[in-house]
Amino acid sequence: MKKNKNNKTRNKLPFKERFRKNAIVYLFLIPILIHFAIFQVFPFLFSFVLTFMDWRIIGNHEWVGLKHWIYFFQDKLAWKALWNTFMFSVYYIVPTMAIGLILALIINSGVRFAGFFKGIFFLPVVTSFVIVAGLWGWLFGGTESGLINWLIGLFGVEPQLFLADSSQALIVLAGLSIFKVAGSTMIYYFAGLQSIPKDLYEAAKIDGASKMKIFWKITFPLLKPIHFYVAIVTTIGSFQIFDSAYLLTGGGPNYSTTTIVFYLYQQGFTNLNLSYAAVLSYALFFIILIVSLIQRKYIGKDTAIY
Amino acid sequence: MKKIITYLLLIALGFCFLLPFLIMVLGSLKEIEYALLDPFFWIPEDPSIGNYLYIFRDGIFMRWIFNSFVITVIPVFSQMFFCAILGYIFAKKQFAGRETIFWIFMAVIMIPQQLLIIPKYIMFAQFEWINTYWALIVPEIWGIMGVFLVRQFLQGIPDDFEEAAYIDGANDIQIFFKIILPLSLPVVATVGTFAFISNWNDLFQPLIYMTQEKMYPVTVGLASLLGKEGNFGIEMAGSTLSFIPTFLIFLFFQRYFTEGIQMSGLK
Repeated sequence: MKKNKNNKTRNKLPFKERFRKNAIVYLFLIPILIHFAIFQVFPFLFSFVLTFMDWRIIGNHEWVGLKHWIYFFQDKLAWKALWNTFMFSVYYIVPTMAIGLILALIINSGVRFAGFFKGIFFLPVVTSFVIVAGLWGWLFGGTESGLINWLIGLFGVEPQLFLADSSQALIVLAGLSIFKVAGSTMIYYFAGLQSIPKDLYEAAKIDGASKMKIFWKITFPLLKPIHFYVAIVTTIGSFQIFDSAYLLTGGGPNYSTTTIVFYLYQQGFTNLNLSYAAVLSYALFFIILIVSLIQRKYIGKDTAIY
Repeated sequence: MKKIITYLLLIALGFCFLLPFLIMVLGSLKEIEYALLDPFFWIPEDPSIGNYLYIFRDGIFMRWIFNSFVITVIPVFSQMFFCAILGYIFAKKQFAGRETIFWIFMAVIMIPQQLLIIPKYIMFAQFEWINTYWALIVPEIWGIMGVFLVRQFLQGIPDDFEEAAYIDGANDIQIFFKIILPLSLPVVATVGTFAFISNWNDLFQPLIYMTQEKMYPVTVGLASLLGKEGNFGIEMAGSTLSFIPTFLIFLFFQRYFTEGIQMSGLK
């Protein structure tokens, strides 16, 4: 009881004293919270309200209930966009992780100029999609003037249409993203590799284990938290793919690269159907939410290893 | 033997990652129409700066670069400042609701930007912010990720410095500027480099908020050039120019990038 009383008196420092220690909280946190409410919380809630309305940029708004949600479940193109997005993830996630891991292993193997090469592999990460897409469009040009068609020609393969072929375009876009993102997965893996205790390797070497065996039995399993984390980050990133589809294919050919965000952009800002775009954005949000919750469930515990 | 294979692999991969950039720079020195492109058009042979002269013929490209600087540099400095203060508040200050507010911040990170952009477009139309810098600056003056990074960093620093300064009669604003800010400069630099790259490279938001050509940042401007000019070299010259600021930032702050990526994920 006595202790409690003591605590209470301690909390009741004179106002001036409390202000001296906490002025910064009042001065900066409150404006930032107002900013947060205006630019994050309000739009998030307002967007949900929008899905039940017909919102026109000019003219009246009216309540339409579930109309847009019902249309969403019947909209074949929306489901195709979700499917394309899913397929993009399939083409993109595992190669990005694998290449990132290989790059990290090489950098971490004690080669010289490791820092220099790390910089080179990381360079595409900081380069804008617009620049990479401009180059990619030419590299994967559908005629014989593109470098990749020349390259596969050396192996006797006929020139491919690439971006103009509805069965290849999405894969070419995935390739672009792999090139752009592998450098950042490399950084995650590099950090993971460095945190593996060296004596584990020493012990395995003394036991006469081969390099391959050491990798699959020690390195790879110990990187498990990194695998999970990188998988989640690349998955969430892949659901939001937009730039390359907008820049290179415009969603085509035959809607084969219409991803969910590209479709959302088209519906909202080309067709000016903002309410339906809001429905699509909530669909995207729910998917990302589910993936994030899975992350919380599994990774929250696993990272404790380090 | 094994060493040689590793080095060969390293050099081959390095070449693959670097080649597109090489083609960009060398290609920018060639005036060539799309129809005449061949796989090795970029190999230097009678280079010219004609593409660059063409780009600078009217002021529009420089205007795009200028716009990009405006919508990048202001958020970079304000994010460094506000994220440092907020990181400090959430790491060291005791006040009601601290954990709840931070938890809400971390939950909101999960909301994709694409969801917020539709209501924000409607809001900004009301504010008459469309085709103004406000639309791209005001929402970006601080960032949750930056607050998270600074908080992580400061949680690892003992309170002793602060306590000593309080005893000397300093108030917490003095403590922030004299002690905390200098201590957290590395992580604040990380916040700044991240802000620079994400704002300089952003395409989606300016595509929606900026509809007049003279308000485009360089990403949107360059995108409008893609395939339009009938001369691949011009595209490459524009790419090279817009790449220079990113490249310089990368060259000088590479360490902060990689450290930031590691901090955001692994701790």
